[in-house]
Amino acid sequence: MRTFHVAADLLREAMARKWFLGLGIAITALLLGLVGGLRLEVVDGALAATRLFGSLVEASVRPADVALRPVFVAASYILFYGGMAFGLLACADFAPALLSPGRIEHLLSLPVRRWELLAGTFLGVVTLGLLASLYGAGGLLLILGAKTGVWTWHPLLAAALAVVGFGTVYSGMLLSAVLVRSAAVSAASGALLLLMGILASYRIPILASMHHGPGRWAFALWSSLMPSLSTLADAAGNVAAARPVAMAHLGAVLAGCVLFSGAGLALAIWQFERKDF
Amino acid sequence: MSLALEASGLHKRYRRWLFGGPGQTALRGMELSVPRGTAFGLIGPNGAGKTTFIKCLLGIAWPDSGSVRLLGASPADPAARARVGYLPERLHLPDAWKPPAFLSSVARLKGLDVRPAELVALLERVGLGDAVQRRIGGFSKGMRQRLGLAAALLGSPELLVLDEPTDGVDPLGRVELRRLLEAELERGATLFINSHLLSEIERLCSRIGILSEGRLLREGPLEALCRTEDAWEARFVPGAPEAALMAAGFRAAADGGFLIDAKDAVALNAALERARLLGALLVELRPASRDLEQVLADTLRGSA
Repeated sequence: MRTFHVAADLLREAMARKWFLGLGIAITALLLGLVGGLRLEVVDGALAATRLFGSLVEASVRPADVALRPVFVAASYILFYGGMAFGLLACADFAPALLSPGRIEHLLSLPVRRWELLAGTFLGVVTLGLLASLYGAGGLLLILGAKTGVWTWHPLLAAALAVVGFGTVYSGMLLSAVLVRSAAVSAASGALLLLMGILASYRIPILASMHHGPGRWAFALWSSLMPSLSTLADAAGNVAAARPVAMAHLGAVLAGCVLFSGAGLALAIWQFERKDF
Repeated sequence: MSLALEASGLHKRYRRWLFGGPGQTALRGMELSVPRGTAFGLIGPNGAGKTTFIKCLLGIAWPDSGSVRLLGASPADPAARARVGYLPERLHLPDAWKPPAFLSSVARLKGLDVRPAELVALLERVGLGDAVQRRIGGFSKGMRQRLGLAAALLGSPELLVLDEPTDGVDPLGRVELRRLLEAELERGATLFINSHLLSEIERLCSRIGILSEGRLLREGPLEALCRTEDAWEARFVPGAPEAALMAAGFRAAADGGFLIDAKDAVALNAALERARLLGALLVELRPASRDLEQVLADTLRGSA
């Protein structure tokens, strides 16, 4: 229960931060801009023309749901990578702030277990990511749904997949913050993890282009342990566009991400439990 | 008598995990027992290990060896910590929040169901009644300290552990906080105070411990620590010949009395006889006492 209290406090803290106020304003402004500037001419379920701030963008006649697919795919990638990049910067300070002198001593003196503090921080950050993603994706759905009559929940599912990816990266950031209490190191470790997650997604073509030897062996081993973040981003794009997705493959990628997050969180808690403050 | 806290053979060394060398020893076999319902003051120079001891006591740092009991339980037990209020030396507070929000958060983590009116009453009790709607970011150091104390007082804890509680608080504020802590003591709470302000400790605490280089050098009731073995304070009937007494080896005490240095009963009686012959009639005699500053200085000198 106290894990949820810690998470709720983190959300309250986030609401007071300019980063997140800025993010909320930016998403809202983008959505309002779309509401005001986007004119979609839909006739009998078909999109006849698209005008953005008066300029003609698309004039070919296509079924509205098909015409919106590229929009949802683009939104999904922006949400995945853009949201991840924003989250790396904006959330890098949460764990170091939790562990700051004068705060952590007070928290540890309360009847809260150490693991609850870290689990609550992780849960709070992931919830924050989920709320922001759902707000952006949900707003886009509402606007496009109202203008075209096409109502789909797929972009919301894609947003949830993006949050799984972010949670994977954040578990590594949390571990680094427990080891070295620094927002910069936390953000850098998140960026590195994202990069490694992208590389791990292309491990088979990369391995195919490498000569046999210790380097290839090391890359094969290392990349097998990393979460396939680009694969997850591609899957999220396909889900957003309601294209068929290999469920077994997506399940494996998701399981890998969840396993990686769990391992990162477990390592962070293990370190945290034995640490002096 | 049941104990609020008990430490036995406590050793703690901070190790540096990277290029660190041997690290720094903070506690070297610390032994201490504090009975429930008392006010205990831990004093000592900087780096003596006072804050480390508090951290070991509350499960914030783990001792290398020895044992700690907090209200009869292990500090790792959240149920024991739920009965403790702690004010750290430098409490970090969320600047964007208002005091009731901060207290609500602490209350939730303590598992307390506290109504908003109770929080406001608590803020008034620590002297922050006018600042309820202000953001913490605009608080002075003293106000932050008061808010930290309010957080420690949440849930009427059985044990209050206060690390430099009056740091940054103005003199009048110190008087207010002292009264508040005295009220807690009357309620039955145990106070464990770590402070550099010896006068505050002297006024509030009945038992004192002197810590230096991780060792408890002296511990006991305040009167016993401050009492001297070889000096006495005498009070004579008004009009005693002051100059003659001074010439006879007496020294003026702060409150109109006279101090006599006497190593034993024979020397004491000889001095009193001299005074009597000078026409000074004794009305009160008691062992002279030193202030805590002197006690600390003498103890540290003795241990060097």
